[in-house]
Amino acid sequence: MSELTLERGLAALRAEIDAPTAAFFSSCVHCGLCAQACPFYLETGDPKYTPILKLEPLRRVWENEFTLWGRIKGLLGLQKKVTDEMLAEWEELVYDSCSLCGRCSVVCPVGNDLYAMIRKTREGMVQSGHAPEGLISASVRAITTGSPMGLQWKTLAVQIQHVESSSGLTVPVDREGAEYLVLLSSMEIINFPEYLEAITKIFDHAGISWTLSTQCFEATNAGIQIGNKDIAAELVERVVAAAETLRVSKVISPECGHAYTAIRWEGPNLIGRPYPFRVFHIIEVLDELRAAGRIKTEGKEDDRLSLHDPCNLARKSGVIQQQRNLMALVAENFVDLKEHGKYQWCCGAGGGVSSNERAEELKMAAFKRKKAQIEEVAPERMVTMCATCRTQLEEGLEAFNMEIPVVGLTEMIAEHLVERD
Amino acid sequence: MRKRSDKTLGESLRDHGLSRRGFLKLCAATASLMALPPSMAPAIAAALEQARRPSVIWLSFQECTGCTESLTRAHAPTLEDLILDFISLDYHHTLQAASGEAAEAARLQAMDENRGQYLVIVDGSIPGPDANPGFSTVAGHSNYSILMETVEHAAAVIAVGTCAAFGGLPQARPNPTGAMSVMDLVRDKPVINVPGCPPIPMVITGVIAHYLVFGRLPELDGYGRPLAFYGQSIHDRCYRRPFYDKGLFAESFDDEGAKQGWCLYRLGCKGPTTYNACATMKWNDGTSWPVEAGHPCLGCSEPQFWDAGGFYEPVSVPLTLGPATLLGAGAAGAVVGGGLAALSRKKGRDAAATRQPVTVDELEQKL
Repeated sequence: MSELTLERGLAALRAEIDAPTAAFFSSCVHCGLCAQACPFYLETGDPKYTPILKLEPLRRVWENEFTLWGRIKGLLGLQKKVTDEMLAEWEELVYDSCSLCGRCSVVCPVGNDLYAMIRKTREGMVQSGHAPEGLISASVRAITTGSPMGLQWKTLAVQIQHVESSSGLTVPVDREGAEYLVLLSSMEIINFPEYLEAITKIFDHAGISWTLSTQCFEATNAGIQIGNKDIAAELVERVVAAAETLRVSKVISPECGHAYTAIRWEGPNLIGRPYPFRVFHIIEVLDELRAAGRIKTEGKEDDRLSLHDPCNLARKSGVIQQQRNLMALVAENFVDLKEHGKYQWCCGAGGGVSSNERAEELKMAAFKRKKAQIEEVAPERMVTMCATCRTQLEEGLEAFNMEIPVVGLTEMIAEHLVERD
Repeated sequence: MRKRSDKTLGESLRDHGLSRRGFLKLCAATASLMALPPSMAPAIAAALEQARRPSVIWLSFQECTGCTESLTRAHAPTLEDLILDFISLDYHHTLQAASGEAAEAARLQAMDENRGQYLVIVDGSIPGPDANPGFSTVAGHSNYSILMETVEHAAAVIAVGTCAAFGGLPQARPNPTGAMSVMDLVRDKPVINVPGCPPIPMVITGVIAHYLVFGRLPELDGYGRPLAFYGQSIHDRCYRRPFYDKGLFAESFDDEGAKQGWCLYRLGCKGPTTYNACATMKWNDGTSWPVEAGHPCLGCSEPQFWDAGGFYEPVSVPLTLGPATLLGAGAAGAVVGGGLAALSRKKGRDAAATRQPVTVDELEQKL
């Protein structure tokens, strides 16, 4: 039986090195700005969490095997080789202290995409057997049961019953030819079932045809988080198969940051072909409906609200104005965090950090940056639109004894819909 | 009677009632202006005492008159000092009282009387010899023919402003008028470039003063700019430099960093690649300068600054490397790197081809 080894890890790193990677490594000017952009470095003050350092295994493979200088060093026996011990040591840096939020990539003055390279480094870590247990179990469960939390359709079916009895509406399931296929994350099904209810209400209100699929209801992608394209591609294939079976033209990703970037941006590259449908985040769909006048709301929240932009949505996908348009619809007293949108600070839990129990302490340390931002504008409630961010905000605020409830934007919109006669 | 320009500067200054003490003060100011030690002041005094006021012909071509406007705001020496005491400004469109044929006659007379001795100062770029001459004319003559006629017997040419020195705005893509710089056209005479949009007024007068004092042109850099004024980058002399060194950058024009006076690099400051004296001499008699006013340096004293990417895009490529240098370096790099790149590509392809997919069973072994 085959197993994961150092050789396979090195081969995977080698396979990840492409022209951009080479250009990035050779253009790094060691300015250290990425450190200043990283909550894990700033809140621990430990220089080992500097983003560029997290790339050292990948950088060494590049230098040793792809550069003239590295080869000369090799001839002289001066190469610093990547060893199994090194990968073991770097496991914490690559997984525990990086949420793949990409802030380092946007601040880099020479334009190096550090986030993309950490994603690449993870490919080598998985192949050499150095991935955190939490992410390994999540990946195994995602492949074997269809959900990283081991959730099955029957659990969702129970939630659907609750939604139907409380709203009096029908949740469409396996409806062929619907316009939208709605995907969920296990976190939403278990922790935030109000999200499904909100969608049901809003889509009924706006007269949207949509459906869930029993074939595939989960779009979170543990393969992306752990950093393995084989697992990631298989999970994407399941979504594509479900969408094709139901012949939908649009797919809505869950309110889960990495699931959105996985299905929207990485998916077609992973499976090597374009989708026969388009992918949206629910916030984009809601803002389109708002612009088309298909969402009618009444009344506004009058307490002071602020917004946390999920990094996958705002920084990596440019969905920034949409959530503000929606906030304007239902909030009277909205205040932005000082750094928001493209430059917002990560909550600290994304990129698999929250699935990795060992990283708990670091995750809370990174959250202090968000906490400081929230304290600065002192809102009465926080609003967000990513299940992982929301969980992290709730846990973090509780850990620091801050009594600021966190609400989902979709649910808030649903609460303000004009009642039908 | 001797011609006005035959008088020595010493005589001329005394004629204007300048005291000995006032004269030495002026020399000290001139020394400091040219970044010379104060001990040079007596030497400057001696030189100026004997210097003859040169005839200066100022030609304005495709320009906005900003450079002349800048000159009129010179403080040490002032424009009056310069015109009345240092030079004999025999022709200048904007400043001269004469008009029409009398004005052109003044130019021809100055050229005739000071053959081989006079200075030509040019501001504005020139439609080249292959361009339609009608794009810019003076008294019915094309800029190109006036320039070539005037510089033929000149001692030296000073190109004032980025348009004259490097083509400037008229030469920005797509360069509809075929604009060229003075140094593109004048090959057989010394050409000094005093770029800037506009140049710092004291830099203009300082270059002229240097010529008067030493009787020769100042030391120049690779772009023909006097090293005394263009020897250091804005970035190296910038008072915000400590923030750059600490990694403290303003992210927008109204954020906390901007209010704290942090480095403007990320807002597009071209200071690191721009050579000029703004950071030390400042503008309006040392009142302020763009970076002190909260705006990033545009790099206005550098060649092709209009086409060098957005003013608000951070520098990533050294702008002072001309296209030829970049092409040359690129070609050399391509030759050196080509073989290695081919090998690396093969290595990458082989690695991708032999990469083993990860299975769930393999992952489970690690639990």
